Amino acid sequence: MEFLKISKAQFQLSVGRMIDENFVYGVKAKSPSYEFDRLFTADELCLNYNITLLSPNKYFLPPRTPLMGFKLDGKISVDSMVGAQPGIIIGIHPYDLHALKLLDAVFLGNLKDAYYQARRQVIAIIGIDCLQPWQYSFAASMGTAFPPAGFDLWLTDTGDKYLIEVGSEKGEELCRKYLDASEAGEIEVKQREKLREESLSRYKLSLDISPQLIPEVLNSGWNSSMWEELGEKCFSCGSCTMVCPTCVCFDVRDTTELNRLSGERYRIWDSCMFDAFATIASGENFRPTGTDRLRHRLYRKGKYMLQRWGRLGCVGCGRCIHACLVDIASPVYAYNRLAREARTG
Amino acid sequence: MKPKVAVFDFTCCEGCELQILNCEEELADLLSALDFVEFREAMTEKADYYDIAFIDGACSRKSEMARLKDIRKRARMVIPIGACACMGGVNCLKNYYPMDEVLRSEYGEKAEYYETIPARHVSAVIPVDFFIPGCPIVKKDFIRVVQEILAGRIPYQYNDPVCAECKVAGNVCVFEKGMTCLGPITRGGCEATCITGGAVCWGCRGFIDKPNIIAEKLILEQAGLSVEEISKRFNLFNACKDRI
Repeated sequence: MEFLKISKAQFQLSVGRMIDENFVYGVKAKSPSYEFDRLFTADELCLNYNITLLSPNKYFLPPRTPLMGFKLDGKISVDSMVGAQPGIIIGIHPYDLHALKLLDAVFLGNLKDAYYQARRQVIAIIGIDCLQPWQYSFAASMGTAFPPAGFDLWLTDTGDKYLIEVGSEKGEELCRKYLDASEAGEIEVKQREKLREESLSRYKLSLDISPQLIPEVLNSGWNSSMWEELGEKCFSCGSCTMVCPTCVCFDVRDTTELNRLSGERYRIWDSCMFDAFATIASGENFRPTGTDRLRHRLYRKGKYMLQRWGRLGCVGCGRCIHACLVDIASPVYAYNRLAREARTG
Repeated sequence: MKPKVAVFDFTCCEGCELQILNCEEELADLLSALDFVEFREAMTEKADYYDIAFIDGACSRKSEMARLKDIRKRARMVIPIGACACMGGVNCLKNYYPMDEVLRSEYGEKAEYYETIPARHVSAVIPVDFFIPGCPIVKKDFIRVVQEILAGRIPYQYNDPVCAECKVAGNVCVFEKGMTCLGPITRGGCEATCITGGAVCWGCRGFIDKPNIIAEKLILEQAGLSVEEISKRFNLFNACKDRI
């Protein structure tokens, strides 16, 4: 493991050099929140942020991904649209990198998704520790407050400097090309441990049980009155799933040009909260009410994804809690309440 | 053979028809794909038979009811376009007043020369095959529906609230900015254009099939709106209780 350090002023200059030669995406202010967006100048970058509206997963699984083009004039032909623009994302928080690992499990497991893979291979990740967590985050109790392996560079804000952990060869190359960093010693690394440790106490929300126990409380909680109580308020608007960094469901649609000679197949984010999601051709809907769908979502996050892909579907970012206008989307509330109900019977 | 297409206007501002004419980039392709045979806002010719009849506007006179029925008889496919044709739209606001009062306030002394009935949407009078909502319709949505019909598919009807597209657009929620919105119960498909542009959703695309009206009232109330203000907000485009 290699550690470097760089002054904040030097880092900004480095980002400027990256922007000169690459597509660079970073966290920008979108008052009163933040968003990942293309950077055009280094001073747009806000690394001292609490949350972004959407997770950086939008660069790996875009809301609308063209899959193939087709031509229908005479001979039918198909053109694959696999491909990606190389780029660098700066400012990913630990919980979002944990979410990306889940996407890797989904899209790069037994069945490799060429579209996702292409993007994943050419987009570099520069993350940063979240030392001042957002009021809705409960990442500490989900075990996602610190980054897993899989980043190229990882920053820690140590005051006037960033400590940089190099996580990959691509990261090394970025350092060589753009960063005027010097080697960091044990003192800085110890300081990072201390800063990380301290950040844990700043989380306002926490899960009362170990995350490993979530499937268990869900097993006993299927008939809880909580589902109806929350479900009747649900708009089925899908906001909780659109902002979720681990939501991966999509629909596939075709469009044909007016001349009927060519067209495109694309995929588009879908949501299990939509009425139509589990409706099949006959008109039958497997999850006809908001209550059914809300329960499904929390089971999927807390149990099904773990069963199928070996990772919990919730990284504790808190985006869904904040996005829900009727305050019913919180996984931490639901799991804590089910745990309490399981204890008291 | 190209499908014969007609566009008709009823009680409305004719803005949705203008949206069709505003499809400048696609106009050449539209004209190559469709045979426009009647379109008062754009041409003088008329025809007896239509493959697709697009209807702009609500029905607010007895004579309009008869005209709608006549068009239905001569059209293979009838598609209402815009809030007025799909839900009655703002026209239905008059339904809260006695019709003679409505006539007097509009035409004064000449009221006796006119007739009016409570406004209603097209599908309250004749069966329709699809609908393209919005005030006005979104050009992209119109083109999409034509593309789908030409390809022989049933067009996809959006039935998810505006909120979903609004999140994808990366917007800060208007409630967070101290404003209020009908996005959670309004039919999407507009890519949340109004909110992206800094405004709020007024429900111009009508409500989704199963809107959670109680929850919407609750959040508007929590945002400080009075019962009267909430009712006004709900009624602007959606005063007609039986919707499409």
